[in-house]
Amino acid sequence: MGKIACFVEKYNFSDPREESALHNFKHAAEEQDHEFHFLFREDINDIPNYNAIFIRATTDPLYTSYIVSKTAWELGLKVIDDPESIKICANKIHQYALFEKYNVPYISTVFLNKDELHHKKILDIFHTLGKPVVIKAPYTSFSRYVEKAACETSFRDIAKRYFKKSDTIAIQKFTPTQFDWRVGVLNDQVLYTCKYMIPTGKWKHGAKLRGKPTVVWGRTVTMKKQTTPLKLRETALKACRVVGKGLYGVDVKEVDGEFVVVEVNDNPSIYAGYEDLRDRDIYSKIIDYLTE
Amino acid sequence: MLVVSSIDLSSSLRAMKPAKFLSSSAKGFTLNLNNDYRYMKTGYYVSLHAEILGNQVIPSCENIIDSSRTPILLLRAARAGIPTMKAIVTDSVKKIATELGFPVVVYAVNPFIHEGYKTAANQTALYRAVKSLGMNYKFAVCAQPLKGEMSTVKSFFGKCDDPEIQPIAEEVYELFQIPICQLHIQKIAGKAYLSGLQPIDKTELDPADVKRISREVLHLYMQGDHISG
Repeated sequence: MGKIACFVEKYNFSDPREESALHNFKHAAEEQDHEFHFLFREDINDIPNYNAIFIRATTDPLYTSYIVSKTAWELGLKVIDDPESIKICANKIHQYALFEKYNVPYISTVFLNKDELHHKKILDIFHTLGKPVVIKAPYTSFSRYVEKAACETSFRDIAKRYFKKSDTIAIQKFTPTQFDWRVGVLNDQVLYTCKYMIPTGKWKHGAKLRGKPTVVWGRTVTMKKQTTPLKLRETALKACRVVGKGLYGVDVKEVDGEFVVVEVNDNPSIYAGYEDLRDRDIYSKIIDYLTE
Repeated sequence: MLVVSSIDLSSSLRAMKPAKFLSSSAKGFTLNLNNDYRYMKTGYYVSLHAEILGNQVIPSCENIIDSSRTPILLLRAARAGIPTMKAIVTDSVKKIATELGFPVVVYAVNPFIHEGYKTAANQTALYRAVKSLGMNYKFAVCAQPLKGEMSTVKSFFGKCDDPEIQPIAEEVYELFQIPICQLHIQKIAGKAYLSGLQPIDKTELDPADVKRISREVLHLYMQGDHISG
């Protein structure tokens, strides 16, 4: 019997689908005779009292979640997401550099440093990747901090905003598709497969309505894990292997029958009735991994 | 040894500018010199690039992140035997007051505030410190009891000007290998306790500091093959 702490922030309970998924994790753990407690930021000093830590709050080396992850890891606890996965997944520059090094097929990307933001470089990028391009901040998550630019003015405007936090950003080829594959992976095994549909008239899964702060999300179509195309499965697992052996959500685009990785996310969304629709065992599998 | 430096070292030393290194595939042991190693700033990306190339590099990305996150800095330091005070991470003033009493020293634990600390001698001052460093209670803070007096020193390759702090500066460098930083130290009855580690503003590096850094780099050059990360 193990004691699992699930690190959450208040916002994790604001969406009933996520709240329900969190209770499913608790139920799965208790069914296996494990203790499962929600750990909030004021309880961080209790980490040594647990055997495993499961982080559901948003991860980033600059957030409290990294403190939780690294503390647990230093104390020898099993932890999802581990600090190395957070380090690689929270910084897309790090991630794409690893994809390049280990020949993971990924979306065409160039890096741009802060001191390279000049006319000639921008022209070179448009020449290499075509117009428009997608400008991505390294710390992107939930479709935020990813914008499209079709001219030098908007390119500069977006890049300058992203350079405030990071001295390097990623520029990618604009690759519109009807959906992105989302492959959930745990410990080198596919856990679930979905299609994250792109809302009509938009180009990313979560898109703002023109002039409004509201974000519209595309539908999630959950597939039977067994029907995951072999090539997609291999591509997703290869991408995860350069990150680690934890829990990931891999976004993949299918272009002319070829699969290219958009990004590997640690701390992937798990909403009741969505990612778990065809594979109800994802909760117990994650609990098994934490307690093995 | 590849020296990548954002600082203009003495003219006898060969050093590559970060921008040049980031567009190169230069192989070899890499010494990354920067006054600011903050996550996602150029100093971080130089170490990341070196690691991707397979180069041994000082400092490593892991050490850059961990040393800038005060609770992790203190946890790793304590586990390595470096004197530290008890620290708690929380956004609750009540918890700090109950568990640590007064006075306390408080550090930010958020993506936006990366320098300085606040001390609080009573509940009102603590509320102000937690509100300010926690950005209106949005983020947690790291609090430590203040039993002595705080002191800040510049540390270059683990060397500093204060003989009482020198041993701890060496140990911190040995563990985290941050060549250029400032250390916040709490001195209690002549004994030094590590409290925090932060970047040095470029304007605070005077010519004597640059000379000192250059001398250390020269020393490392002389060591040649004996350098290890």
